[in-house]
Parts: sequence; C-alpha cells; structure tokens
Amino acid sequence: MFNRSAHALLAACLLTAIAVVNAPHAEAQEPGEVSVTFSGITAPKGALFVGLYDSEAAFAGGQPAQGYQLAVTGPSVATAIKGLKPGRYAIKVYHDIDGDGRMNTNAFGIPTEPYAASNNAPSTMGPPAWADAVFEVGADGATQTIGID
Amino acid sequence: MDRRAFLTTLAGTSLAAITPEAVLAASAAANPAWALAVGDIEADLAPRGLRLIHGRAPKGLAGTLYRNGPAKFRRGPGAPAHWFDGDGLVRAFRIGDGKASLAGKFVDTFKRRQDAKFGALVGPGFAATATAGATVRNSDDSNAANTALLPIGGELLALWEQGSPIALDLETLATKGPKTYAPDLAHMPFLAHPRIEPNGRVWNLGVAGHRALVWTLKADGSLEKTGMLELPRASYIHDFTATARSLVIVLQPWIQDKPVQPFAASMSWRPELGTQVLVVDKNDFSKRRLYDLPAFFAFHLGDAWEEADGTIRFDACTEADASFAARGGSQITALKMPDTQVTRLSFITLDADGKGSLEVTALPAEFPKTDPRFAGHGRMKTMVNTVGGGPAKPFLQGVAVSDWRTGKADVFDFGPDHCAEEHLFAPRPGSSRELDGWLVGTSLNLKARATELHVFDASRVSSGPLCSWRADVPLPVGFHGCWV
Ligand SMILES: [Fe+2]
Repeated sequence: MFNRSAHALLAACLLTAIAVVNAPHAEAQEPGEVSVTFSGITAPKGALFVGLYDSEAAFAGGQPAQGYQLAVTGPSVATAIKGLKPGRYAIKVYHDIDGDGRMNTNAFGIPTEPYAASNNAPSTMGPPAWADAVFEVGADGATQTIGID
Repeated sequence: MDRRAFLTTLAGTSLAAITPEAVLAASAAANPAWALAVGDIEADLAPRGLRLIHGRAPKGLAGTLYRNGPAKFRRGPGAPAHWFDGDGLVRAFRIGDGKASLAGKFVDTFKRRQDAKFGALVGPGFAATATAGATVRNSDDSNAANTALLPIGGELLALWEQGSPIALDLETLATKGPKTYAPDLAHMPFLAHPRIEPNGRVWNLGVAGHRALVWTLKADGSLEKTGMLELPRASYIHDFTATARSLVIVLQPWIQDKPVQPFAASMSWRPELGTQVLVVDKNDFSKRRLYDLPAFFAFHLGDAWEEADGTIRFDACTEADASFAARGGSQITALKMPDTQVTRLSFITLDADGKGSLEVTALPAEFPKTDPRFAGHGRMKTMVNTVGGGPAKPFLQGVAVSDWRTGKADVFDFGPDHCAEEHLFAPRPGSSRELDGWLVGTSLNLKARATELHVFDASRVSSGPLCSWRADVPLPVGFHGCWV
C-alpha cells in the first residue's frame, strides 16, 4: 500500500550537520532573512536536521545549500536563516529523535522519525514536491511556520 | 438550456406522474433493500439500553461483545472506493443482569480527521488512491482501524491490516493512539487476525510483499519478540492460522505483481499457480514446509491443530477467486450487487508426508470462529455465518455450528430481512467442554431498520435465539469482534 522506494530516497537524502544555529525568532526581518518556526513537536529531545535548498534538483535528492542542526528541548524550535540572496528556496527537515544522526526507517523502509517541508508541503506517499514547498525570499525576507510531528 | 426552454420541457412531461409512490419506487430501485448494511453513521453512539424483543437472557451470561467495522463511507463529491475503506466504528454491546446496552465510538484516526478536514475521501486505502495534497507520510496516516479488535494489556486494540494497532479505552472506547512497541517497529503492518494461544500469547503477521514480520506479544500485551519471514510469493494475506507448534500461512494466488496504486490494483489473480500453504515452526523459522493445493481465495481461516502423526487440519471459508476483494467490495458500497460467488466452508488437511488436500463443503460460510480455549489444539466445532448470500442480498442471514466429526451443521436462519454478523463464543461459567456455552452475536434487521443482539445455546443453534434485543439504530454490517 505504501511506496517504499520514494521514502528510501527521502531517507537517503541525509543532511550534513554544518552548524548549530539557535537564534531567537526575529521580530523584524532583515533583507534576505528567513524566519522559521518548527512547531507541533511531540518528542522534546534530539535534534532537527534542516536543509535549505535553492533548486528543484537539489531538493529532490541533492545537497542542501545550507544545513542546520537544531537542538530540540520543547514543542517548538525557532531560528533565522540570514544573508540569503533573493530567490526561490525550499526547506526539508527531519526530527532525529534518537540522536543517531540519521532519519530512521522501519524494516519495510517507512520513515519512523517525523519529517516535513516548507509551506507544510504534503507528503503524499512520497517525499514532498518542490512545487509545493518552494517560497520566495525577497527584499523583506520570508517567514515559515512548519509543523513537524 | 435557458429558463424558458426548461419550463417548456417540464410542462411537456406529465407532472401528475410525479407522485410520492413513484418517487419512493424510483429511490427503492436505486437503493437495494440491503443499502442500510453499508449506510453511513454520522456520529458516535451515546450509551443506550436495548429493548428485549424475545426470550430471556441465560443466567450466568455477563460480559461485553465488542465489534468493529467500517461505518462512514461517503464524504464529499467522490464515491467510496471499497467496503474495506470506511472509518472504523467500535461498538460495545454490554450484557449483564438480564439486560443489554449499546455504545459506539469511531476510532479517532489521522485518516478520519484528515478526510473530515478536506470534506472528502482523500487518503489511500484498499481500493482508494490518495488525492494530491493529502498527507500520507506513513501507513498509519491511512489507517482506518476498521477491521477487528484485540483486548489485551487492559486496552482494546483496534486492528487494521497495513498499520499499527490503535489503542482504545475498554470502558469509554476513547482513542489513546497507535501502539508503537519499539521505535523501529513504528508504522509496521499488523494483521487484523492475530492467533491467540490458550495461555494468552499472541502471534501475528505484518505483511509487505514477499516478507512478513512475525509479531509475538506476551499475554500482558507487551512485546515478546519479532522476527522476519521470507515468503515464496507476494500473496494477499488477510488471515493466517496456527497450531500449538507452527504458523500456517495460506498463500493464495492473488499476488502483488504491479507497482501501482491503489493496493487492489497492484494484485493479479493467477489461478495457474494454485494456492500454497507455508508451515513454519514457531521456534525456528528455518524449519518450514510448503504444500500445494488447488487455487482458491479465502479471507478467513479457523484455528488449526496438529495430530500425533503430524497431520495438520484447519477450516477455511473459500471462494473460487478474488473477485470480491478486487471488485465486489467496491460494488457493495456503490449499492450494486457484487459479481461474486458464495463463500463455502472448506476443510484443509496437510499430511505429514507433504501432501495437502482441500474439501469444499456445500455450507455457505463466512466469519469462522472457534472456542478460543482450544486454539491450536484438537477441536471439533466451528461457528460461522451461513444461509443466503445469493442474488437477492450480498450478505449471509443465518448462523451455524459445524461439526468436523459428523460433517453436519446446526443452522438457524434469521430470514431474508436480516444480515447476520460474526457470532462469538461465551463459555458457560464452570465448564471447560468445547463450545459449552453461548453464541453471542448481532444481525442487522433491514425491515425493522435496527441492529439486534442475539444469544444462542451453542448446542442448540437451530432452536433459535434464547433471547434477542433490538437497538434503536441500524448499524452497518461490521467485521470482527471479541467477547470480554
Ligand atoms: Fe477479517
């Protein structure tokens, strides 16, 4: 009933931890800044692995333009991604609850740790689509609230 | 057509022909008499008393018949895809002090919430394809929790087939949420037909293509162990059976061979391959035997047992092919008569020398149940729904106890107004004799437009119910339950 290969692709798209950016949620954004809040977290432990992508090809399985590892201690995590060139971006995130640095799957390849994407793009029996997740970063920056549970 | 043309057309027809009788007749033609059996229930059922309509409750009978089954099929513009894709409504029929009551709650699944939010059927299912925009991150996002119930560990588990059991409160039926026995077992499939040893240990399968996860739960509901089993073919497995020593897995030739959605479309009926039965030692999965039988399809099997010489026996409710699963269930929710044949009680024997045989009896039969105290051990009796299932109504209307030794069935026919549902065994206090006690089960009375609860003496089914109660509501025909 479930498309396993699509999920394996998602799980294989491991996000490299680059830096822990745990900036507070910015009230007023600077140019080129994306203010992101991850909400609805049910297991307040481990870390969010966040990838910011600047192309459809990269989003579908390539390297993120920027990657973040954000510690989880409560039901939500806020951060700000700064210094972005104006353009189109998308975010993928998974919650590494057990802290092993990878997105776990069960024996049949189904993800067992929560994941989500910008615009809360749906995952309909496979990874979220770029067309649903893409957002514009303009002179005023952008704001994203992404539910992940 | 402009308004004037419309009025002219209307005037041209005889308005006198539009009588209440004509409207009724037209809607009756559109909706068969059995439409209530797949009707929609819109809300939970607050606890209410049932009205005694016949007889008197036997002394010593006290407990709850919990039942599960799909009860909300239609939402928004699309047609329902399949009988198996409706939302699970859990019903509690409580019997005590000669009285009976009914309460019901839908399992509060992600699927039901999401469908309600969209105002449409958006999730994937047995024959439903996911709508673009629906969130389906894992198998539990499409879990309808609509097939069976397992009371264990102080909870009631609502079972589906492709996802986790969903825990409910035994008293209030309130949903607690999906069971995750270990982090790496999240969203693994768990069949709706676990096999329970008399000591309470539970065996179950979770199937994906050529592989089955074997679940073992302790009597207290905690996880004992899991193991992985490679299967010789990617058969549709709804049920399996077990002896005290072995798992007995029927591999019918409805085989997943196409990587397409929905699930039912990924399967092909391949009768030339026959039906196989895989027998696996519970303690050592490498000890396995494979039997060949003629091609048949079966949703449901009876408990198996192994004789001293190694012969394994069990019963099955068999049909000639997979047409009901593939199409019939979709036709039923579309209120069309399914193009399917009657399911019959069959006896299967697997000799120790590797030869298997199938004996199909004349008895129409579905929903086989046995005395749970004899599970995995020698027994003689099988309870089934029976009588009917012909062209007038795609549901059986009677109940029977069939005896392996005599080959005879003790049958009661509720009559053409009824759709019979699964009947379960309630033992007589103080007795340990096989099937010494009562059959407790329900039927949907189409004429009275009400669900009824019946109690039979298990040794005299043909004498009719010892007592029957009637609810103030007709519930759609459900699948499986448990007696607690
Ligand atoms: Fe079943």
